[in-house]
Amino acid sequence: MQVFYQPLQYLMDIVLNFNTMKHLMTLGLKIFLVLLVAIQVISCSDSENISNLEDTLIVRHKGADMPAYIYGNGSEKVFLIILHGGPGGYGLSYRYGTIKSEIEKTCAVVYFDQRGSGMSQGTYSKDGINVDIMAEDVLALVKVIQHKYGDDAKFFLMGHSWGGTLGPATLLKDQHVFKGWIDIDGVHDQKGLYLEYINFFTIVANEQIALENNIEFWNGVLNLVDKVDANTYSDRDFHDLNSKAYEGESILTNDNIIDKGDYDGDVFFKYNLFTRLWNLLTIHTILNDNGLHDELTYTNRLSEITIPALVLWGRHDLVVPPKFGQEAYDLLGSSSKKLVFFEKSGHAPMFNQPHLFADEVIEFINQNK
Amino acid sequence: MRQLPLVFLILNSYSLFAQNKSDHSIINSKSLYDRIEFKASYTGNILWNQGITIGAEYLWRQKAYEKKKKRGTKLITHQYVLQSEIGFTFMPATQTDTGLLTSLGLIWRRTNPKGKQISIGINPIGLYRSILPEVYEVKGDDVQKKTLAGRIYYAPSLTFGFGKFRKNKALSGRYFNFNFGIRTPYNASILPTFTVSYGYRFKF
Repeated sequence: MQVFYQPLQYLMDIVLNFNTMKHLMTLGLKIFLVLLVAIQVISCSDSENISNLEDTLIVRHKGADMPAYIYGNGSEKVFLIILHGGPGGYGLSYRYGTIKSEIEKTCAVVYFDQRGSGMSQGTYSKDGINVDIMAEDVLALVKVIQHKYGDDAKFFLMGHSWGGTLGPATLLKDQHVFKGWIDIDGVHDQKGLYLEYINFFTIVANEQIALENNIEFWNGVLNLVDKVDANTYSDRDFHDLNSKAYEGESILTNDNIIDKGDYDGDVFFKYNLFTRLWNLLTIHTILNDNGLHDELTYTNRLSEITIPALVLWGRHDLVVPPKFGQEAYDLLGSSSKKLVFFEKSGHAPMFNQPHLFADEVIEFINQNK
Repeated sequence: MRQLPLVFLILNSYSLFAQNKSDHSIINSKSLYDRIEFKASYTGNILWNQGITIGAEYLWRQKAYEKKKKRGTKLITHQYVLQSEIGFTFMPATQTDTGLLTSLGLIWRRTNPKGKQISIGINPIGLYRSILPEVYEVKGDDVQKKTLAGRIYYAPSLTFGFGKFRKNKALSGRYFNFNFGIRTPYNASILPTFTVSYGYRFKF
């Protein structure tokens, strides 16, 4: 009981002691000033200049608080929403090269941290993460931008890799708010990826062995392909193949088959590395446990997407093989659609051939805005 | 029920006035003033988050014993200290990881005759309240801008630290702590956190 009584007594002593009060007030004043400066830093950081936006919004939806970083020219109220890869990637990882230097001059680019990714936070159960809810998050983002910048805002949706899964999921819920869909090496058919790895790896490995390029590595790829179960999906085999795809792309880059990109992104201080990696691990595990790679496919529903579409693919993409680019182009229900294979690119044409990439995207936006 | 975190914050701030000291003669003192030290520190992970915390420590138990060495005897002090802190941390680059934090717990601290200290602390009670920059809540077709929006997470932590006791100085000690904690429920699971603290203890 004394433990509780003594602080009260001490408080009284403080009140009666003028010098102590003075010290306390000085300390309080210092803390207040520090807080004030901090709040000023917070409130002054965004630029409200519409032709050169630098804005950070948080979309609160179904238990999640998801940052959307908006950069670029918003004077025509054209917003290009980028759906990052992963799952578990992060929005600002795409703010580099010609996306930053050219596309941001054409329109406002929205770099969105999806639910459970990047610096997103919130409180929800594991059932609160699935493709349906994540697609609704994207539509919620659209509503927020309309709320802030006006109902006359125009939207394009661009998905890369996993973003090419989330993109169709979003468009199949409501495509009418979007002026166009840009699919970059996107996985509209997670279920089909496993078997296509086996087919495509065999083709590429044999080609490279015939060219006498890195024979040891490509023989290793053939051994891996022989080892995995070609009839039944296996998590472990899928991840082995997926890792080998990234290794293979770096080998192709060293052999000058894929162009070396130049990364000038500036995101290190914008994402706590530990938080970002933890989120990546967590969301990937949850979605994987829910059958992401062995059940999910939008192949049979691509025909329902009828807005203008631009399909951009790296010819040497080992992570999401080019078959899916052709398939997306063939099956999309859009009357206005275009397929471009980047002959010197792998999984990220915006990195390997940035100028060609920007030209295609800007042309598509200008044609359809 | 929604007021509980606020009540906790107030009680915790109040407990800042609840109590330490490494001079082992103090333990015999009944005076609360003698048993209390205040502290202020930088707390953050240097790269992404910067922050300050202020708090108080109350010397709850202290044991001093002599250790026989070749050159004589060493007086070693073990203290059990109740501690409470409140702080503010912010992420200057994007403000997406900014918030208020508070913790309440127990520290075990060993002080050698030269005043060098090592400590282990456990803070079973801790809260983190995020403060997000510009939040729009979407419910159906309705969008509302929220003011001072954020979320409250339960945030217990463990600390391991080194320090120095400065006898008869206004700044009676300094410390460098490694803090490991979690925030939960965070997204669909927990978020592990790691920060360091560098600060001073003092008396008024």
